[in-house]
Amino acid sequence: MSSDSRTSVYLSARLYFACVALVTVLGLVTAMALRPAFAHKVLEIVGLEVMPQATPGSFYTVRVAPLFTRHCIGCHGEGRQKAELRLDSFAYLMRGGRHGTVIWPGDAKASELMTRITLPAGDDRAMPPEGKTSLSPDDVTVIRLWIAGGASPIVPAAAIKGAPRQVAEVTFPDLNPAATRNLRAPLASVMQQLSARYPGVVVYVSRNSADLELNAALNSKSFSDADLKTFLVLRDRIVLMDLSGTAVTDASAQTLAHMIALKTLRLSNTKTGDATVLALASLKSLRSLTVMGTGATRAALAPLLRRGVTIHGDGDAE
Amino acid sequence: MQNESAAHRSASAEQVRVWDAPTRLFHWSIIALVILSWLSADQGYMTVHLWSGLIILTLLLFRLGWGVLGSTTSRFSDFLHPPHKVLAYLRTQAQGGRVLHAGHNPAGGLMVMALLAVLLAQVATGLFANDGLKFSGPLALIVSDDASDRLTRIHAITFNAILVLVWLHIVAVGFYHFVKGDNLVGPMVSGKKGRAHVPEGVTIIFAHPALALGLLLVSIAVMAWILF
Repeated sequence: MSSDSRTSVYLSARLYFACVALVTVLGLVTAMALRPAFAHKVLEIVGLEVMPQATPGSFYTVRVAPLFTRHCIGCHGEGRQKAELRLDSFAYLMRGGRHGTVIWPGDAKASELMTRITLPAGDDRAMPPEGKTSLSPDDVTVIRLWIAGGASPIVPAAAIKGAPRQVAEVTFPDLNPAATRNLRAPLASVMQQLSARYPGVVVYVSRNSADLELNAALNSKSFSDADLKTFLVLRDRIVLMDLSGTAVTDASAQTLAHMIALKTLRLSNTKTGDATVLALASLKSLRSLTVMGTGATRAALAPLLRRGVTIHGDGDAE
Repeated sequence: MQNESAAHRSASAEQVRVWDAPTRLFHWSIIALVILSWLSADQGYMTVHLWSGLIILTLLLFRLGWGVLGSTTSRFSDFLHPPHKVLAYLRTQAQGGRVLHAGHNPAGGLMVMALLAVLLAQVATGLFANDGLKFSGPLALIVSDDASDRLTRIHAITFNAILVLVWLHIVAVGFYHFVKGDNLVGPMVSGKKGRAHVPEGVTIIFAHPALALGLLLVSIAVMAWILF
């Protein structure tokens, strides 16, 4: 290169900057052609990007998207976009990443996403990467079937045949012994006394709850209205009560009406009737009532039925 | 008239040394290393990317030192000007005026500082960044995962800033070349400018190459200290 700093080429400033603008636009267009992710970003900024949405009941929404949520969006979501790829919506998924499209509708084999999720665990390009939870073979099958079926955002969940059954995810609340102890502390002395007097009649419904279940059916005929009254002290904790076959009568109607936490009540084969049923109308939390072998009539049960309480045994018919 | 023209040709032909070798080597090395860093990250050659970044950081440390101890035209004091002077210079250029500078002009000085700042930000964030797979910057483990992710995002943003500044730099160099008739690239290669492009009476003191070598060794030592 010549070290003479005087050049012989001259342009007007206007022409030069026109050339610069042209080159800049050409450069941006070239970058958009070479980098689809960049192109999508530019189109999104200028409001020209089409963002197709998946329908709520589609196979994508019901079966595919939850897999991406569970396994992928930590690195390919709103917060992080490794390889400029986002998998947190149908539009982003179909947009692809830094190296282009990752889904070819109808062709699972050609789809980069399928290639990555089926690579052996030791492969550097395998997804999810080492240390993250892998997709199960069923998960991979679900994604493969969806791509092979056209990678549609609207095809209903039931329309793609052969997909492995969906496994319902059940989560259990973590046990917190200290919190449970605190909850139960106010009941401790009463529970101790009642348990001594009525062994096994009242127990906690679960390991991490202070709610109680009263099961007098075990004591059957020896359990009377007076006995039931002694449990009034626990009225805001008893959620399930089984008085089947006991000596309880309509005299307990008011006692039962004070059991404000009661959700399930079984009165089968007791000498209770409409007086008790009518008293139960005040229990807002009651969801289930068993009246087989009682004197309850349909007319008395009607208000509870209208409120949505499930009635087992319909009074008059028994 | 003929005598004047002949005098101008003679002044153009006469070469004056304006850039020292360390500054020129730094300039062209940084270009090569930035391109290498870009390509290596893009293609997933992260070990190459790491070393390229570390060398850039070392060179930046060197350049900061050279900006204080180096030759006249390499010193920050030579090309850093207050904003009103930069604006006045740009106004003169826009009106077709001509102001000679042996080294960086005020606008060029601002561009040098901006590039040094974003490059420093780029390599500094790169030390703590991760690619979400198996590669992490050498200092990523001393910060939380969240912090590393945040710095990774900044690493991506500053890279775009570098691209913008580099493009502006190229446009400006092109402007001087095609519109003003000043070739800025040639002198950055040879180190010399035509006498006609250097202000009268300017004295440029060139630092001894051994000082550059010493400064480079210190930069390497600082780099090693940061890493280990």
